[in-house]
Order: sequence, then structure tokens, then C-alpha cells
Amino acid sequence: MASGIVVERVGRSFGAVHAVRSATFTARAGQVTALVGPNGSGKTTLMLMLASLLAPDAGRIRVAGADPVTDAAAVRARIGWMPDVLGSWPSLTVRQTLVTTARLYRLPVARARARAAELIAEVGLTELADRPTKVLSRGQKQRLSLARALVHDPDVLLLDEPASGLDPRARIELRELVRRLAAAGKTVLVSSHVLAELDEMADDAVYLDRGETAAAGALERARSTARPWRIRAASGDARAALAAAGVDAATIATDRGDLLVPVAGEGAAADLLAALVTAGVRVSVFAPAVGDLEQAFLELGAGPIDGGAS
Amino acid sequence: MSGWLDGLRVVLGLELRQKLTGVAWWVLLGVYALLLLVVTGVVTFIDGAFRGSGTGLDGSTIYSSIIFVVLLLASLVTPALSGTAINGDRDAGTLATTQVTLITTGQLTVGKFLAAWVAALAFLAASVPFLLFSWIVGGVEVDVVLVSLAVLAVELGVVAAVGVGLSGLVRRPLFSVVVTYLVVAALSVGTLIAFGLGSLAASSPATYTYVSASDYDDVTGLPTACGEPQVTHSSVPRPDRVWGLLATNPYVVLADAIPTHYGAHGEPDDAFGGLKWTVRQAQITPELDGHSDECEQARQGYTWPEPPTAEQTIDSTTPSWFVGLIVQVVLAALPLWGGFARLRTPARRLAAGSRIA
Repeated sequence: MASGIVVERVGRSFGAVHAVRSATFTARAGQVTALVGPNGSGKTTLMLMLASLLAPDAGRIRVAGADPVTDAAAVRARIGWMPDVLGSWPSLTVRQTLVTTARLYRLPVARARARAAELIAEVGLTELADRPTKVLSRGQKQRLSLARALVHDPDVLLLDEPASGLDPRARIELRELVRRLAAAGKTVLVSSHVLAELDEMADDAVYLDRGETAAAGALERARSTARPWRIRAASGDARAALAAAGVDAATIATDRGDLLVPVAGEGAAADLLAALVTAGVRVSVFAPAVGDLEQAFLELGAGPIDGGAS
Repeated sequence: MSGWLDGLRVVLGLELRQKLTGVAWWVLLGVYALLLLVVTGVVTFIDGAFRGSGTGLDGSTIYSSIIFVVLLLASLVTPALSGTAINGDRDAGTLATTQVTLITTGQLTVGKFLAAWVAALAFLAASVPFLLFSWIVGGVEVDVVLVSLAVLAVELGVVAAVGVGLSGLVRRPLFSVVVTYLVVAALSVGTLIAFGLGSLAASSPATYTYVSASDYDDVTGLPTACGEPQVTHSSVPRPDRVWGLLATNPYVVLADAIPTHYGAHGEPDDAFGGLKWTVRQAQITPELDGHSDECEQARQGYTWPEPPTAEQTIDSTTPSWFVGLIVQVVLAALPLWGGFARLRTPARRLAAGSRIA
């Protein structure tokens, strides 16, 4: 699996601060892997090590089959990195920025121009293509940053908080773009602390908390463990039907008129829905109250995280 | 190699496009040209006003004055153009995105240095009309013009290298600019102070023996008896031991490097030559065992040894511009190399409180 990311027991500290203690995970080609963790958990430090900018103190990293410490050039040729800091050359236009970046990746001039035009259309900056980047809004800079990461058609994408500052439509476009890249066989690692956003695009997740990754497969387990489901009944006595289906009334909570019922796994949820419908309750909403990632995160004992429930 | 140069060209183009599209740079250039216009006007006016009275400035003095002013102004502008090259990018979040491309640290450092140098050379280019004017008015030799421009260009390169290097070593842009200014001040003024103090500190004991006549013949007025030799002890400053300090001064380098043309009595015909003569005298060991026998001289008739002319002094001493330039190039290379080392990725050590991206 030469095109993915393999991280084994990687650690990095800054003086007395252990930003990453021990990170171990694998991100596969053709999949979107979420890198999840609270603020300050070491996500960006890990991303910087993957991007060959920061050397790890311990452990082993392989990005697209190459070691970022000993063969940074090979890694750089195959990764696209979108940093969490939005920086752009203020006096260059969007087009100049992309052409220059492509030239920095040693693309010939003609190819660089063509690639810039392609990406401008792809990220929806056509109208701003010849304006200096200093006039761009935060969301527009975010798109430019994404385009810059894609300029040399990399096999591995490292996206650090790519959706922050994007409006809902741009988020959807981002999600579609990311899914499309994964479908084309690229390895995509996306970090965020907004779990709902990752839930929509990730195939797999890596949890980073205080510099350590949690065991793999947490997402799979989360899908099968008990968590609250949101039930909204248009008519019918939902509570009675739930009691009949064997749900302990004491465990039912309410939220803005909806019922929150603990359900153990997807199978149990399907059974419960069938029971409610059979009992004549007209159900309009029946869904997990928290996302898969959030559930897994909560189970790992990391506690609630900001923006997670939004 | 051509691939390396290609990358360098991209970095250089990027840096220049950013530097030169700002309004600030053009305003600075305009103010600079205006100042030079004023200086040229004043110098020419003084020249014209005094020429009639016979004490007028030599034509080449106009040229020398303007060259010195160009060096002064350009060395004051260059730290601002170069002192934020690396840490400014880091603050703006554009450094790491460049480092993550296939550009090497060497290409990035050299590209930033060249861009700062070119931006500084633009100020030299803006001075060309004034230099041309003073050249025509002053009637200066071509070699003087060519060498002075070349030395000015190198001096600006030294300041640009110091600025870019320090911007990689110092985390905050404000501090790196200030430290670059301090380096320029140390070279321009500090070397003079250090030279003065250094020659005093390196003083050697000297003796001076003086013999006078104790009795004179009434008719001839010649001495008939000589007195006891009187020996005085003193401490003599030794500029010859610290002349290297003076040689490092950019103004001295400039003056010393320019070929001197001499007048009929071996005297230099421009301000560069005058300064060169003064500076070269610092290399000569002062007389530590002075001797003056007035009695003997009076008997045999006074003879004064012919003092060496400026031309003889200059020809017999070491060309100090060469020494000064070597010291300066080393001084410039050190921070540049330090900045390069700090810029290398994957980074192992980060300065306290800094982020790589």
C-alpha cells in the first residue's frame, strides 16, 4: 500500500510539552480518514510531521511509501497539504498564486497555467481569479488554500481544518470534492474538531487525545453501541409504544419536543422503528441524536467538544 | 543545475513581485530620489557659488559627495527591504506552504537574498541620473564611476544578506529589522569608535630624545656647546595595530577601492583619495624612538626630510578595501547561513514560542 499513510508510535515534544506522545494509525488509499481530537490534542503537529515540515522525535512515518524525514522531496512531490493557518501572498492574484505554486512544484509554465485555470473553476473562484488574494474573504481563502494543495495532483491529501469558515454550500462542495478525490484513489486525511462535518465525509477515523491515538475500529464499535436516538412522532402515543417495545421509561429524555431514547446499535434501532410503526405511531424523525464520530469520541472518554453537537 | 536555477528564478520572481507591487516601496523610492535631488542641488550650488572665488569645490568632489550620500541612504533603506524576508512570511502563513513544495531550503534562502538585493539595487538605479549628472559636471574618470558603482552594489548585497539571514534567525520581524539596522550602524559608526578606542588601548610606550644647544657663539649664532639629551617617555596610540577595524567601514571600503588619480604634487584629486590617504596612514607604525638633535642640526644647517606624498603613502600600504570586503562578506555569510540552517525542514528544533506554520 504505497500510496497511503502509515504512522507508527510517532512522538514529538516541544521542550517540556508533549504535543504528540504516541500516534499509530493507517490511512488507506481511496478512503477519507478523519483525524479527530479536541483543540490542542496534537492534530496539527501530527499533520506537520506528515507534511515533512517537522521531524518526529520517535516513531516511524511513511507517506506514499516514503519517509518524510529522510526523503522529504519524494513525500512533497506526492502530498498536498492544506494548513490550518490561512496564508496567501497578498499582492498576487488568485491565478498568479496557483501558477506560482505549480511552478514551485516544478511544473512547466504552460502546464502550470492550465492547471491553475482548472482548479480555479473547480473550487469556484472564477470571478475572483484575477483579483489580488488580499481581497478574498476567509472562506474564499480557504478554497484557494485547497486549490493550492491540489495543484500538482498529489496522491495523498492532508487537509487541516478544511471546512472552517466555509458557508453551508461551500461545505457541501468541499465534501463532494473530497469524496471525488477519494473515489479517484487518493488518500485523504482530514482533521477537524467539528465532528458533524467529518461524519458526512469520512470512511474511517483516527482519534487523537492528548497526543495519543485511540485504538482503530472505534468508529465501527460506535455504530454498534447504545446511544440516544431522536424520535419525533407526528401523531400517536410514542411513549406507550416505546414502553410496549420494552424501553424503560426512566431512560427516555426529551429535547425540544422530541424523545431521546437509548438504542443499542443499528439492528436494535431498526426493530424499534418497526415496533413503533406497527403500534400506529406516525414517525417523522428517527435518527441517531449524535453522529457516529461524536459517539465514538464520547465513548473514548474525551468528553464533549466544542461545536461537536452542531 | 538548470533545475536548481529554475526553482531559484521562481522564488526570485515571487519575492520581487510581492516587494515591488507594494505602494510603500515606490513611495520610498520617490522619497529617496527627492532627497538625492536636494543633495545634488545643494552640492552643485555650493560649487557654483565658490568657484568664482577660487576656493570652489573640485568637480570630482561633487561626484564623491553624491556617492557617499547614495551609500548612506541605500544602507538605511536596505534593512527595511530585507529584514522581514523570512519571519514576515512565517507570520503571514506563506512560509510553510512554500517549504512544502519541491523548492529546497537553499533555493528559498538564496532567492530571498537575491530578491532583497535586487530591490536594494533599484535604489542604486534610481541614483544613476544624479551620478550621471555629477559625472558630467565633475568630469570624473570612467574607472572611478565603474568601481564606485560596483562597490556600492556589493555593500548593498552585504546589508541584504545580513537582513535576510537575521530574518531567519530572529523570530519577530520588528526585531530582525532593528538588529539589521544595528549591524549597519556598527559597520558605519561602530567601526570608527572601535578604531579610536582600539588604537588608544593598544598604545605602546615611546621615548623621545631631544638635544638642544646650551651655548651659542655671539657672532655666528651657532651653538658652541650641546646640552644633555633630554628623554621624555610617553604613550603613543597604535592605529597600525587596529587598522582592520577602520578598513571594515563601508565608506572606507568605498573610498579605498576607487582608483585614485593624483595631482602634480602627488596629492589625490577627489574626496575618495583624500579619505584613502588618511586611512592608509593608520597602517604606518608611529615612531616609537623619536630623536631630535637641534644642536647638531644648527651646526650642519637645517635639513628637513621630505615627507612622503599621498601617492607614496598609498602605494606603500596594503589596499585595505580588500581586507574590509572580506571581513564584510564573512559577516554577511554568517547570518545568512544561520538563517538557512534554521529554515531547514523537517525541523528538529524550533525557537521557543514559535510555530512552524
